[in-house]
Amino acid sequence: MSQEGNVDSKPKPDDETTRREAFVKLGIGAACLAGAGAAVFGFEFLSPNVLYEASPIANAGKPDRYPAGSVTQDLKAGIYVIHGPEGFYSLSAVCTHLGCLTAWNADLGIIACPCHGSKFNELGEKIDGPAPRGLPWLRVWLSDEGDLMVDRSTTILLKQFLRT
Amino acid sequence: MAQTLKTYINGLQQTRAWRSVFRGGSGANNLRRAMAVQQNVFLHLASVKISRKSLSFRATWFLGTLSLGTFLILATTGILLMLYYHPSAPQAYADMKDLQFVVSAGVFLRNLHRWSAHAMVFLVFAHMFKVFYRGAYRPPREFNWVIGVILLIVTLLLSYTGYLLPWDQLAFWAITVGSNLMSSVPVLGEKLRFLMLGGNTVNANALLRFYVLHCVILPVAAALLLAIHFWRIRKDGGLYTGPGDSNE
Amino acid sequence: MSDVEKKFVAGMDSDSRRTPVRVAFVTRRTSPHVKATDDPAVMTYPEGILRAVVAVQALAIALVVVSLIWDAPLEELADPMHTPNPAKAPWYFLGLQELLHYFPPVVAGVIIPGLVVAALIVIPYFNINIEAEGIWLKNRAKRLRVFGAVVVIFSAVMLLFQVYAVLIPTLLIAALMVLAARSAPDSPSSFRRWLVSKPVSYWVMTWFLVQAAVLTIIGTHFRGPGWSWVWPWRS
Repeated sequence: MSQEGNVDSKPKPDDETTRREAFVKLGIGAACLAGAGAAVFGFEFLSPNVLYEASPIANAGKPDRYPAGSVTQDLKAGIYVIHGPEGFYSLSAVCTHLGCLTAWNADLGIIACPCHGSKFNELGEKIDGPAPRGLPWLRVWLSDEGDLMVDRSTTILLKQFLRT
Repeated sequence: MAQTLKTYINGLQQTRAWRSVFRGGSGANNLRRAMAVQQNVFLHLASVKISRKSLSFRATWFLGTLSLGTFLILATTGILLMLYYHPSAPQAYADMKDLQFVVSAGVFLRNLHRWSAHAMVFLVFAHMFKVFYRGAYRPPREFNWVIGVILLIVTLLLSYTGYLLPWDQLAFWAITVGSNLMSSVPVLGEKLRFLMLGGNTVNANALLRFYVLHCVILPVAAALLLAIHFWRIRKDGGLYTGPGDSNE
Repeated sequence: MSDVEKKFVAGMDSDSRRTPVRVAFVTRRTSPHVKATDDPAVMTYPEGILRAVVAVQALAIALVVVSLIWDAPLEELADPMHTPNPAKAPWYFLGLQELLHYFPPVVAGVIIPGLVVAALIVIPYFNINIEAEGIWLKNRAKRLRVFGAVVVIFSAVMLLFQVYAVLIPTLLIAALMVLAARSAPDSPSSFRRWLVSKPVSYWVMTWFLVQAAVLTIIGTHFRGPGWSWVWPWRS
């Protein structure tokens, strides 16, 4: 009792393989989609949404704490509060080379980094060393109570002085 | 006295209980020597027979074996040290002091871990240079060489992540500088640094991430790569034996 | 049978009632004679296993003795507000940190290590490394010209950036290579015979090894506060 018509001994090349190919493609596509989704989930999981770090806004106290011509380093905040001839301004104390904490050298009148010997002047401009650029200027303003506030996360590109 | 002990032990080895555990055998004949390797779950990655030339000291200086040895010492001492270490700042530093003054053999274990780590980095580099200068990277062993390079990077990463764990000045600033180097990578640098540290600075999150990397992720990666590395040696026709190698 | 040039094409027959037969067509002159070997195979246990055990035991003893005598360093508690001077990386990264002194972080921290890793990975995939013939034994004049150009340009760049730590070892290795180029394979000196047989992969790797060692030694012993140059016997 042989069936006639549909059943051949040789496989139909176009029909059968296309269906298999279609399913394979569907499977691979689904796996890629799942992989992409897993990657996005993983990336989002690994990036913390809450950081237990200090607020970037630093309160530097009343302006009269800083005599004219003084360069004061706030170690905790990692900033310099400078009372220059034109007014107040603030520099980041983090060396632009590789993140070491710089220090103010009053004798030489420069800011120096201990790690690789970068040197900056009072305006944060680079004098010497492997640092690629000068120390960034940070946004400074007076709070309602009259305190000097510095925002470590915001750098200003044009030199601005705060006059009190 | 010795004779009775011997007969007693022999008798023990004939019991059903003993033979249910130890089925292979010692070295009484070649069959048993073969079974000692082939029937052993830990050893059967190795082949039953090995070329005599590849066993000579001059061939490899045993650097690969020694690298694996340091890895095992590090895994053992590392696990023991984990029992007294909390990966939180600044508790981690207090734990280091504990290990130094309070824990029995704490000083010794920490020293052994540290010096084995330095030894492993050195031995892995030496192994790479030895393989290179012998020409043991040539076909069919090219991919095993690549796996070796990846293992080298994993070794350096293990050492780097472990460096932060004491949470002392040396650790903190070495990792700060290293993570800032990471941010120099174009395009992805800042994001990579943020992911690696779990934040913007080296703090508690960074310590925990480095701890997990150092104790779980990287050792598992190393173990998997080592398995492939050894398997590849077998599949490539055994250890390279020099200019007269059968694969040339 | 004598017509070895004839190409054979394998066909397929799906009549499964016939016993399958495999036929191998040997299209080259081969002989069933097995190459005699002077490298007998020995039992892994005990020969291989016991040697490995002894080696690891010797290593363990050495490490234990070192651990009993010398203590691992521990500095003060991590202080984000105070950078120690100098802040040095572990010894295997000090070579890189020394390079950081001359080049920007992108170059010394990302590009150079990336290139090194990439170069290491591709070594076995280049024919010239597999054949490993002496570099000067073929196309000597042309290779000398290329070599000269590379050395001159590289040294000029190093001189420009004042990277003497790289310049001097490079010139040393280049001098050895020139000596090799001026040696003949039948030279009476065994050293010069050995030198001339070294392939290009050997020279590049040796240069890299010497370079890494010099940079690491400088970073370890010759760099003090502010990454300034210090003479270790003076401090």
